[in-house]
Amino acid sequence: MRPTPTHTLRLPLLACLVLGLAVVGCKPVARKDGEIRLGFSSRDLSAEYTAKMSEAVVAHAATLPNVKLTMVDAQADAQKQISQVENFIAQKVDAIILNPCELEASTPAVDRAKAAGIPIILVNQVTKSTGDAYIGSNDVEAGRIAMEAIAKQLNGQGGVLMIHGIMGTSAQLQREAGAKEVFAKYPSLKLIDQQTASWDRAKAMALTENWIQAHRGKFSAIFAHNDEMAMGALLALERAGIKKAVYVIGIDAIAQALSAVKEGRLDATVFQDAVGQGKGSVEAAVHLAKKQPCTKETMIPFRLVTRENLSEFLK
Amino acid sequence: MTSLRTILFDRHILQRYGIIIVLLFIATVLSLATDSFATSANLTNVARQVSINGILAVGVTFVLLTGGVDLSLGSVVALSGVACALCAHPGQFPVIVPITVGVLTGGLCGAVNGWLVTHGKIAPFIVTLGMMTIARGGALILSEGKPIANMMPALTNLAGDLAGIPIAVLCFGLVAGGSSYFLNNFRLGRHLYAVGGNEPAARAAGISVHSVKNFAYLFCGLLTGLAGVVLAARITTGQPNAGQAYELDAIAAVVIGGTSLSGGYGTIRGTVLGVLLIGVINNGLDLMGVSSYYQALIKGVIIVGAVWLDRRQARS
Repeated sequence: MRPTPTHTLRLPLLACLVLGLAVVGCKPVARKDGEIRLGFSSRDLSAEYTAKMSEAVVAHAATLPNVKLTMVDAQADAQKQISQVENFIAQKVDAIILNPCELEASTPAVDRAKAAGIPIILVNQVTKSTGDAYIGSNDVEAGRIAMEAIAKQLNGQGGVLMIHGIMGTSAQLQREAGAKEVFAKYPSLKLIDQQTASWDRAKAMALTENWIQAHRGKFSAIFAHNDEMAMGALLALERAGIKKAVYVIGIDAIAQALSAVKEGRLDATVFQDAVGQGKGSVEAAVHLAKKQPCTKETMIPFRLVTRENLSEFLK
Repeated sequence: MTSLRTILFDRHILQRYGIIIVLLFIATVLSLATDSFATSANLTNVARQVSINGILAVGVTFVLLTGGVDLSLGSVVALSGVACALCAHPGQFPVIVPITVGVLTGGLCGAVNGWLVTHGKIAPFIVTLGMMTIARGGALILSEGKPIANMMPALTNLAGDLAGIPIAVLCFGLVAGGSSYFLNNFRLGRHLYAVGGNEPAARAAGISVHSVKNFAYLFCGLLTGLAGVVLAARITTGQPNAGQAYELDAIAAVVIGGTSLSGGYGTIRGTVLGVLLIGVINNGLDLMGVSSYYQALIKGVIIVGAVWLDRRQARS
């Protein structure tokens, strides 16, 4: 069908309308004197730990006078994250806080901010390029703490299963490296099998069900690279009725994992200070935006959470 | 006319055998290679693990039969799961409420998809691509980005067994059996094939093409909602980020099962076989301890190989 004249007109009209709205929507709000504008790209707001940390970023920025923070969600997509940082650069923000999606793929975002001369602060995860400041925790330490807890529980001998996060993310690589250090220390501690469940509870549950069939009786502990997957493993073990024989530990200390520890279902988790990281990144961003000196690397320590010391972490 | 029917029938049988042969071959290899594959406990696991993808695949078979497609399955699973979990806190409502809310949420998304495809005259690919992000957004908004926990035991018990059979598997079985019966014995079921096979001819024959398509999307949506409820019960939370890429596994299963992507041809039996094939591969690779990197590669090769073998048999 040939387009009628009204049809041919409709498209440009629509385009004008959309463009017009976009221009109105993006028009920068006049900057007040001395106001500091910060841009924050969060890795993935649907992940509980990241959501907690991002909330702390927003909440802390709101308490500071003259600080205006804009948060965007990269939904675990590095490509999207790079565009978000480009948009912040175009808006000429005073500093950018980046919670990188991926070690490699989010690197261009850091390079672009540096090329534009805007300070960029990395939080929770690193990229290949170093930012102007990094607030995080050393994930090697988290892996080490979790495996040490297993080694202690099993008296240094027995079979262990390891559930990895998304392969290639800095958290997965470093948590694995930390765990491997402990395996090297205890020769009788055997890694029976390892597989990725992509940080996902349903996937970890299916994987554990399969492992129960393949390795029944041969393992006494499961180390999951995060709590979501530890919860999936826990559910599979409970449904198979063999949880008592298996020590399960995760990392992150998300709310559900803490209550599972409280109920005596999950054995332990490793606490990563989401609020501390979020606050620290805003502080660093404000310092750098005011061109004040700032510590290049701030490490917030991990801690093992068991039933004994749980009360310190439940708020 | 009779000879034509015989040929169609023969082709049908050969297509069925193609996948059955691949499935049996892989099952035999796994039984020999591992001690644990051919145990009843493991086979129950496989059945439990495929049931969510199975329910989705049966639903999307209806849509594919009409020549459409539904890319929103994974996101709608997440949205339905979240909606279900939100009204599933202990003591809040009787257990039927969260289940109904979950299923109807999926149904609503399906109805909107159908309406936009038929009355909006927008290509199904575009409509459901839009729904994919709309439903994901809806799930994030409803849940405020956090997993919804604290679900009533009556609902999480749905992940358990009834008379030794996992309830999820019973759901899948009922859905598959009922759908197969419906497609073969009901007028509306046969109309789905007619609309997908030759839309102008179906219209000329007096079939209301719009109603048939609307029904397909609605039915697919309701089943997607059911899958969302089953998933939420299984992982004991409504997760806004659940179900990523579930549509791909579901559509892959349907296509492996011999349903034509251009519509008009396919069976539920084929879909079930496709679902089982994908499930057995996933389970087998875990049992054999194959590394994550190789798993993805092997899975892809087996899926394409199975379809290739199947189509070759169909031609000969």
